[in-house]
Amino acid sequence: MVNKDVEKLLLKVQKPGRYVGGEMNAVVKDKANVDVRFAFCFPDTYEIGMSHLGMKILYSQFNSVDYIWCERVFAPWIDMEQLMTENNIPLFALESGDPITDFDFIGFTLQYELSYTNVLNMLKLAKIPILSKDRKGLSQIVVAGGPCACNPEPIADFIDLFFIGEGEEVDLEVIELYRKCKKEGNTRDEFLILCSKIDGVYVPSLYDFEYNSDGTISGMTTKNGAPKVINKRLMMDMDKSYYPDNFVVPMIEIVHDRAVEEIFRGCIRGCRFCQAGYLYRPVREKSIDTINRQCHTLCTNTGYDEVSLSSLSSSDYSKVVPLLEELNKWSKDEKVSLSLPSLRVDGFSDDILNKIKTVRKSGLTFAPEAGSQRLRDAINKNVFEDELLTTCSLAFNGGWTSVKLYFMIGLPTETFEDVSAIAKLGQSVVDEYYKCPNKPKGKSVNVTISTSSFVPKPFTPFQWEPQDTIEQLHEKQKHLKESITTKKINYKYHDADTSFLEAVFARGDRKLCKVMKKACEQGLHFDGWNECFSLDKWLEIFDDCGIDPGFYANRRRSFDEILPWDHLNYGVTKNHLKKECEKAYNAQTTPNCRQKCSNCGAACYKGGVCFEKREDMV
Amino acid sequence: MKSVRIWFKKQDECIYISHLDLNRCVLRALHKSRLPVWHTEGFNPHPFVTFSLPLSLGFKGENESMDVRLIDDDFPLSSIPEMLNPCLPMGIRVFKATEPVIKPGKIAYARFKMLCSGKNTSPQKMCEVLKNLFSEEQLIVEKKSKKGVKEIDIKPYFIDYSLNPQIGGAELNITLPAGSTNNVNPSLITDAVKKYRGIDVDCCVTRLYLMNDKFQVFE
Repeated sequence: MVNKDVEKLLLKVQKPGRYVGGEMNAVVKDKANVDVRFAFCFPDTYEIGMSHLGMKILYSQFNSVDYIWCERVFAPWIDMEQLMTENNIPLFALESGDPITDFDFIGFTLQYELSYTNVLNMLKLAKIPILSKDRKGLSQIVVAGGPCACNPEPIADFIDLFFIGEGEEVDLEVIELYRKCKKEGNTRDEFLILCSKIDGVYVPSLYDFEYNSDGTISGMTTKNGAPKVINKRLMMDMDKSYYPDNFVVPMIEIVHDRAVEEIFRGCIRGCRFCQAGYLYRPVREKSIDTINRQCHTLCTNTGYDEVSLSSLSSSDYSKVVPLLEELNKWSKDEKVSLSLPSLRVDGFSDDILNKIKTVRKSGLTFAPEAGSQRLRDAINKNVFEDELLTTCSLAFNGGWTSVKLYFMIGLPTETFEDVSAIAKLGQSVVDEYYKCPNKPKGKSVNVTISTSSFVPKPFTPFQWEPQDTIEQLHEKQKHLKESITTKKINYKYHDADTSFLEAVFARGDRKLCKVMKKACEQGLHFDGWNECFSLDKWLEIFDDCGIDPGFYANRRRSFDEILPWDHLNYGVTKNHLKKECEKAYNAQTTPNCRQKCSNCGAACYKGGVCFEKREDMV
Repeated sequence: MKSVRIWFKKQDECIYISHLDLNRCVLRALHKSRLPVWHTEGFNPHPFVTFSLPLSLGFKGENESMDVRLIDDDFPLSSIPEMLNPCLPMGIRVFKATEPVIKPGKIAYARFKMLCSGKNTSPQKMCEVLKNLFSEEQLIVEKKSKKGVKEIDIKPYFIDYSLNPQIGGAELNITLPAGSTNNVNPSLITDAVKKYRGIDVDCCVTRLYLMNDKFQVFE
């Protein structure tokens, strides 16, 4: 619903459809009949936030409870933000059009570190005090979850409580507790202390850190009986786990405008740079029956004619071909096409290709991540050059003429030879094209090499590693550019400046809160967007706060250093991560979870792939 | 196979979605409704839909229409609104389906209702401002198109109009050229007020109906 004040601004901004709500399947309730109003905030634009599956799941789930009304809130783009500020219009929720200032919960999903300034900025726009300690009374509870909650410290001063792990159960437990506390007249502090007893809830104000003179952490103390270790929550039975039978169908074009079916959580692979691969262990699959039913229901209820079978590595679904066969039974007749994102180089087969009708001819992307076999072994990517070439050849014979290859530069142990090997691999793909007898006639091949800069993340074997400095990354980008000798290869690289800031916040501690606060005061926002990001402004803020960002981004930690996220438990043991890190130094690979268990610790959840029968045992 | 003209209103939140977005919404609704529409037979089959005339973003539409082809000749047209409406956002409401009478290419005029208001300007005053403006010799404004910007005189188009003060602003009802050959967007009038009188006008525009070159209502 559009409120009158907002309506006046809409024709003055780009894409006003972002700010009006009113989409099909949006949930509108009577505010007089609900006990809890929850503002689900995505700290980025509508188009990005509306593409996010986690928000769709929790939005539907919260709204399935009678006494909760969950509404969507997105960060207004800079043109709208400016008009809202000038006209004194607070941040509002899309369903009711009401300002979120007095909502019971303001919830943020933390998908990437560069959205932290948007979190604070959205609180500011909502006229909510940004510091937890300045919020009084039992309302305006600011909560956050998502992958970045695995190191919550850089924003610990602003968030009342974090959800650690998957939210389907724990979020509702907290909301239910809030409703009870509200009825019984508990104070805000009493509520937060009670929350800290719920498994999977981290209340940062109940934890204090002490530091050594060199800036590292010397110890942590807890207050009011808060647990020393907070365990992640997760859904073990994906077939019984809540899944929406309906999505809000946006009226304007969004990034991923299709139905999405999550086919499993976690990833068997164990790539050493990949945080999601560790956070979401163990792998838990949905059954073919469940996926089939959920896909069909979603397509029927939304009208989407495309469904994406989503996961961290969809070709690793244990019965992928039978699954596609089952879906094909109705999808063709109903003119629904299937897509498999995140295809691995070794997961691309004729069998799969024939069943996913519309892999669009333009977009074929693979991620070898590193150029040389040695470095691919060090990061445990477990992809071989001949696999990549066979796959590309399959694609070229099938009529494709362009391939995108994703790599990272700045990986631990990387040398300049590893960097030039990226160019060589690109060249081999070009050569492969000309070897193909069935290549499209009279067309040239186009290989795009795209590099991002490696950012070491918590809960990965590389959590102790230094990130290359911006200068080193620039040198490597230059070196790669010079190593490419053909015009058939197109080189694109991701800006190293933003990766540096990402690295600072990814492994930051609580001392960074004052930096975040200052950044908010200076109006920084949308750091993930070129239009807004300025490293110089950030460096100035770090300088003003007396903090060296290099301490967080470019410093090698020793294995025995207390890390800012050591009090959180995601199931994988620190010892396993350490062993994996040492194996990386020796370019030794680790088999995937289906081949052999590596005792990472995730078996403690008593389910998933850890208890699947392995092929070699049958 | 027969052609069917589906009539709808575009209102509320949906006035803020562009023509392309409307197209996407409608395709999805047709898919969801299982209406027996004919699909194109190319590489990427989709329902064949032709909109009579795009409506600018921000305008309400009282009598908008789109043509589709039904593969079932005996399909009852009266059931179309009840089939499509549950599949569309509330801001798009289908109210009837008819057999087309006039071809969309014959559209030559559109009738608009505009509610014009301005800060510190009463509806009465706004009426006077507009009346006074329309008596100018010439009203040259910039018209933007894909080919670039050109200057046009909109004065000759102020023939068939009425002007009345209403609650919330001056209500201008006016017929303007519309269609693929000559199209005059009513927003050019607010541009003219700004240019000649220096007043910022907020304007709520509704397209009431379309007409052919003989001023027959498009059906």
